[in-house]
Amino acid sequence: MQFFLLLSVFVVATCGLIYELIAGTLASYLLGDSVTQFSTIIGVYLFSMGIGSFFSKYFKKNLLAWFIQLEIMVGLIGGTSSTILFLLFEEVESFRFLLYMLVSLTGILVGLEIPLLMRILKNKLEFEDLVSKIFTYDYIGALLASLIFPLVLVPYMGLIKTSFFFGILNVVVATVLCIKFEKEVKWASVLKTQSIAVIILLLAGFVYSEKIMAFTESLSYPDKVIYAKSSPYQRIVLTKNSKELRLFLNGNLQFSSFDEYRYHEALVHPGMQGLQEHNDVLVLGGGDGLAVRELLKYNTIKTITLVDLDGAITSLFKNNHMLLDLNKGSLLDKKVKVINADAFKWLKENSPRQFDFIIIDFPDPSNYSIGKLYTDTFYRLIYRALKENGAAVIQSTSPFVAPLSYWCIDTTIQSVGFKTLPYHAFVPSFGDWGYILAVKGTQYSIPDNFISNLRFLNHETFQQMLIFPKDMEKKKTEINKLNNQAIVHYFEKEWSEYLH
Amino acid sequence: MKAIGATMVASSFSCSEKSNDIPASIVGASVAIGHKLRFDKIPEPTLIEEIDTIIVGGGVAGLSAARYLHKKGNHHFKVLELENSAGGNSAYGSNNISAYPWGAHYLPIPNPENSEDLFDFLKEANIVTSFNSKGLPVYNDYYLCFDPEERLFINGYWQDGIIPNFGLSEKERKEIKDFMLLMEDFRRRKGMDGKYAFTIPVDFSSQDSEFTALDKISMAEYLKQKGFTSSHLYWYADYCCRDDYGTNVNNTSAWAGIHYFAARKGEAANASQGTVLTWPEGNGFLVKKLSEKLKDKVISNQLVYSVKIENGKVLVDYLDSQTHKTHRYIGSNCIMATPQFIANRLLDRSHETISQSTFSYAPWMVANITIKEFKDRKGAPLSWDNVFYDSKSLGYVNANHQNENTFHDKRVITYYLPLTDGDPVAERKKLYDTDALYWRNHIINDLSQIHPEIAKSIENIDIWRWGHGMVRPIPGFIWSDERKNARQSIEEKIFFAHSDLSGISIFEEAFYQGTRAAKELLNKS
Ligand SMILES: Cc1cc2nc3c(=O)[nH]c(=O)nc-3n(C[C@H](O)[C@H](O)[C@H](O)COP(=O)(O)OP(=O)(O)OC[C@H]3O[C@@H](n4cnc5c(N)ncnc54)[C@H](O)[C@@H]3O)c2cc1C
Repeated sequence: MQFFLLLSVFVVATCGLIYELIAGTLASYLLGDSVTQFSTIIGVYLFSMGIGSFFSKYFKKNLLAWFIQLEIMVGLIGGTSSTILFLLFEEVESFRFLLYMLVSLTGILVGLEIPLLMRILKNKLEFEDLVSKIFTYDYIGALLASLIFPLVLVPYMGLIKTSFFFGILNVVVATVLCIKFEKEVKWASVLKTQSIAVIILLLAGFVYSEKIMAFTESLSYPDKVIYAKSSPYQRIVLTKNSKELRLFLNGNLQFSSFDEYRYHEALVHPGMQGLQEHNDVLVLGGGDGLAVRELLKYNTIKTITLVDLDGAITSLFKNNHMLLDLNKGSLLDKKVKVINADAFKWLKENSPRQFDFIIIDFPDPSNYSIGKLYTDTFYRLIYRALKENGAAVIQSTSPFVAPLSYWCIDTTIQSVGFKTLPYHAFVPSFGDWGYILAVKGTQYSIPDNFISNLRFLNHETFQQMLIFPKDMEKKKTEINKLNNQAIVHYFEKEWSEYLH
Repeated sequence: MKAIGATMVASSFSCSEKSNDIPASIVGASVAIGHKLRFDKIPEPTLIEEIDTIIVGGGVAGLSAARYLHKKGNHHFKVLELENSAGGNSAYGSNNISAYPWGAHYLPIPNPENSEDLFDFLKEANIVTSFNSKGLPVYNDYYLCFDPEERLFINGYWQDGIIPNFGLSEKERKEIKDFMLLMEDFRRRKGMDGKYAFTIPVDFSSQDSEFTALDKISMAEYLKQKGFTSSHLYWYADYCCRDDYGTNVNNTSAWAGIHYFAARKGEAANASQGTVLTWPEGNGFLVKKLSEKLKDKVISNQLVYSVKIENGKVLVDYLDSQTHKTHRYIGSNCIMATPQFIANRLLDRSHETISQSTFSYAPWMVANITIKEFKDRKGAPLSWDNVFYDSKSLGYVNANHQNENTFHDKRVITYYLPLTDGDPVAERKKLYDTDALYWRNHIINDLSQIHPEIAKSIENIDIWRWGHGMVRPIPGFIWSDERKNARQSIEEKIFFAHSDLSGISIFEEAFYQGTRAAKELLNKS
């Protein structure tokens, strides 16, 4: 008996610490700031163990049966904890509450165990011997856990598998005790059935952990996720490390605060500086307000209309203080009107209004839904929405990685009557990135000077941006139409070749 | 173990329970009123009115006749339509997610020859926006079917396009290719009379017996005679026959079967050959355009129950299904734009000697399903037309496909099932004897083969039963005397206009028959 019970101390201690480590790691993965996360979780865990120890005195009879019962519960809660946390991460608001609740619950249960064990063994061992043995096993277990966790478990099993594995270990100990001490344990058969059921459940979890992982994308981000939310339209994730903030939509990088100024200056100023008039500007997409921030450098602009599909994005960029720092509160400016609507439909139905300059900042044409926004039909609506001497600029993926896609956009824009000015800029986070300026009328002239408060663009830089080296030269392509979606086919082919 | 067993039982329960919660109902097609024609005694008409022309039936043929009369300045006519709105087999519906078709859902870009009236109409409707320097029509971008157009679920995978390819042996692929080449050859062939072997309208096809002889055998026999053995090729031919004619490969004449592949020669300035025109409401869009100028001419909810000639006038008796009153029009002319079996009943020609037995009709079940985003299988993404290899159905069409929006959280899909297993009379009886729940379960089972969890996403299913969906081009029918004679006017007062008269039920034929009847009527006077 003695040996088995001491062995279980060892397992309990290992498992307990593992659950704590899992919670800490998960919290820093999902919420960022690992120092705070680890220290609060360790604190809450230890404190909860204290609560458990305190309440242990209320257990008067059937101590061994209670011990086994606790063991099963710890196995169940600890084993499923990482899955629960991963899956419920979407509810960010209640996530912290859930996290600390699970941590305290495990802490309380583990905290109950050691005192109970000591009481079970108290008549079998001398007190000095008992204390020394129990704590020896306890601390050895802790050491083992803290070593294998970062070195073996996280890299080879991952968090979800690890927690199921230790849950199973916990319950197996309970089962063994149950069988070994069948006669001494009250309700042995109930406990046995329970533990078998829990083992099966945890095993199933262990086996299907890949599937569970598929639901949980957080680990695919290199940096700490500081915000994650699913809007009806997309998955919005913000990550942060010591020097940059990044926005991902459906897993695709939208910008990095490190170099987004390059991207946005190149998007906005060549058009703005070359136009005679820019009273009314329309921004399609670009709900992050970064293009608008650049626009607001011109006092002469009278109105800015921003149409973005996703209200969750525009409100995030109107409210989050880190993002307000980045876009300088541009979306809150009184010149700016934000409309949440589908750009294609909005343009089709808002025909009378015309603009001097239109900025088109959509995601890349990686699927048929977005491919529609790069068609001749769409550009015809843009043409109609521009004043006589207006212009539009289109973010046009990378002419280096995807030259056919890039030049397909150019060909398509020209096919509806625009003159085009293709240019590109190097944005480290993205690579060599392309833009196309679509010019209606005759008043646009390539700018000689740029406003002074820019970090990237000036006269010389822009001259270079107009040059397309041999490996990015203009290619002959089809016109992208609603009924051929040529660009989606080009894009799929070019980017998948590049990424594999 | 017990615990897990119990949860499994519980979950399978909740799954079937879930599909039991899905509301399903049968809508449309006033079968009950139509049956009055056959069984009820109807009171003598009370209200009597005189008019030039009465058009019986507001389907595509009837509306095309009306459009033509109106265009030529003849305004003294009415169209009497049984249903509560015009359209017939091209009817449509809508809910707060999308408009959707109940029957016809597309028009391939039409042939340039013998289609002047059709192109006039397409211009009126802004479907053709202009002609380029080579004279090719430029179609409205919003109406050409957006890419991706079609996909086929075969061997566990969504392949691009519906000609079977994924997982086929080289030998089968070669057979299919040979077959397509043969069809391509027929597409270009002309007869001794200088006419295309296969064209639209059917009337303008060559009369060479080399080609018309193909009408005597079935499409399946034709494939056999040509030495084809690939089961996937038979499936494809069968799919095409069921899709266009509601008849399987064994019961479709080879002439009609080949017509499907070889008759279309339409070209466009801004689309490739074989592109189709489509709208969320399907050909309901064409119906709206046809009737745009006919607002006060089309009277719906009117069941015509008798048409006869007395004292040189045509008497058309009809029942208003809202007021249950009967009326009579006395006119100089009448155009019968109803299916042939109804025209015969209205004219009380059942005793006549000319056999009408060759006109037979395919029953169809069509369902419009409102659905949340659902999990898709691997391969090509959701397309306009989504076909299943292992199913009696034709799969589903995505009604939201032509919507310019980039995002949809809900959509309507239209599910098509021609009942081709048995004899049409028996299949029709089965169609009317079964209820909405039966069809709901059938549809969910069929869709679940491809999308196992689809029941969870379905919000509503509406079902339409077409007892006499379309005329069947069975062997011998297209080039039969019965078909040819059926359009003969009665005393140059009653004219016939319906796609039945072409033997092939498609928009172009219905439009042609309607316009032709209107021209005959105008020519006589
Ligand atoms: C399920 C289905 C799918 C189809 N898909 C396509 C497609 O994709 N493309 C295509 O081109 N074609 C398709 N068709 C063929 C379609 O039949 C034709 O395109 C066309 O709509 C036929 O028009 P119609 O005027 O000749 O006949 P109908 O549509 O049959 O018109 C007859 C009209 O007469 C009315 N009527 C009948 N009896 C009476 C009465 N006693 N009194 C008053 N009115 C009466 C009917 O209600 C109806 O409106 C489809 C047909 C079906 C059934």
